[in-house]
Amino acid sequence: MGSVASPTQATTADGPVQKNWIDYIQKDLPEHLDWWPYTLGAIPLTLFGILVATGLMLTFYYVPSPEKAYESVDQITNGVYLGWFIRGLHKFSVDLMILFVLFHVIRVFVTRAYRTPGELKWVSGSVVLFVTLAMGFTGYSLVYDNVSYWGMTVVTNMLGTIPIVGTPLMYLLRGGEEVSGGTLLRLYDLHTKLLPALLGGLVLGHVLVVRILGFAEVKGSRGFHPFYPEHTMMMGAVAIGLLVLLTDLVMIFPPGLGPPANPQEVASDVSPPWYFSAAYMWITLLPAPLSLWSLLGGAGLFVVYPFVDRMLSQRGWPMAVVNALVGTVAVGVFAGLMLLDLWM
Amino acid sequence: MAIIHDDAGRRRFLSQAVMGFGLLFGMGTLALRFVQFLVPRPKPRRYDAVLIGAESKVPLGEALSMELGGHKIMVLRSDEGVAAFSRRCTDLGCLVSWSKEREEFVCPCHQGRFDKTGKNIAGPPPRPLDRFDVVKRGGQLYVNIQNG
Repeated sequence: MGSVASPTQATTADGPVQKNWIDYIQKDLPEHLDWWPYTLGAIPLTLFGILVATGLMLTFYYVPSPEKAYESVDQITNGVYLGWFIRGLHKFSVDLMILFVLFHVIRVFVTRAYRTPGELKWVSGSVVLFVTLAMGFTGYSLVYDNVSYWGMTVVTNMLGTIPIVGTPLMYLLRGGEEVSGGTLLRLYDLHTKLLPALLGGLVLGHVLVVRILGFAEVKGSRGFHPFYPEHTMMMGAVAIGLLVLLTDLVMIFPPGLGPPANPQEVASDVSPPWYFSAAYMWITLLPAPLSLWSLLGGAGLFVVYPFVDRMLSQRGWPMAVVNALVGTVAVGVFAGLMLLDLWM
Repeated sequence: MAIIHDDAGRRRFLSQAVMGFGLLFGMGTLALRFVQFLVPRPKPRRYDAVLIGAESKVPLGEALSMELGGHKIMVLRSDEGVAAFSRRCTDLGCLVSWSKEREEFVCPCHQGRFDKTGKNIAGPPPRPLDRFDVVKRGGQLYVNIQNG
């Protein structure tokens, strides 16, 4: 941003005039930001709002006990007026939020927008991604149908295989040795209290960091794309289009409900939701310690990627090409594993 | 104004460092107690040898599943005698079931397979199924679930 001349920042002979709040909103963006993929971050933000609103509504009916959980979800879906629609909005918003967070990540990755001063944007954003995935997991566990139950078993067991901290962590999450009513209550608390507060704070922090740090400089791009009204209009248009799409999706695919949790019999199809299916296939195909470590290592590498980029580009690596390649391979592997999970 | 308090600086630094460590230690201990509050204590196991019935009640080549003292168990009678296995898959804790045709325990979660001695033969499971001792007393079978 530094060298970019900003027409909305009035200056006098005495120096810059004190900034008004409107100047922060009307902050100029680099010209390249009028390319629409730069609005991809606003979509998860919109969806997060919908998730908070519908989630609050769902808590009015949901009962987090193993005897009542399934029944209450059934009541929401089939009894309460428009319950199916609220639950459907909640369900599809998660799917789309994760999808668009991933698109946003891909856009940032391919354009290398995490470069200075964007490191903190990337790191805070990657934590947002992980917490969003945790929200997805805790959320689908609450339904307490058979897939939920065995999903809880598998995921908590996976955490348990991490050395040293794994077993206490598993006990912490399960509230005992086995997946039980205590586990459901813990996941409910995480899903409706701790994680949303954390995610809200992180999202706010991420947006603030983006506003304060500004954008990586792109050669030949001058700062003549005002955030308000141009960029805001684009984000708004994209968000409204998204709402229409979301409503259609819920109407066409109303939320269903599997058979209730059965601790005596494993669900015939324990496949997790699509955003976990790649990781799920990965742990199926690779031997146990290797698969877990590669996932953890991959996640770690993901978080520190801006610093890896800086190190490698200092050594003369053509990072734009490397990123295009790494991105393509990563998306390909993700999609391939997902397809494999569909077949099996 | 520039008075150099070399010793005083060092003393102050040391005292602050000790105070800082003390504070951190205290806070850490307190935090650990909070974590202990959140991590539940494991329940003591009370059962020892549990009667499951006459040997003749377990059909040859079939596995009966049952729950004894919180353990989900499969009792299998094969040519080698009667054996009791934990149904918990050693991979990620799904429940295995017995496939009579293939004479294998199958885990539906990641397609892990175990042979009739409980040995892991395919898929991701890292070790054989947990086994329980089966004791025979006067034609009756007992499963010793203490060593689960």
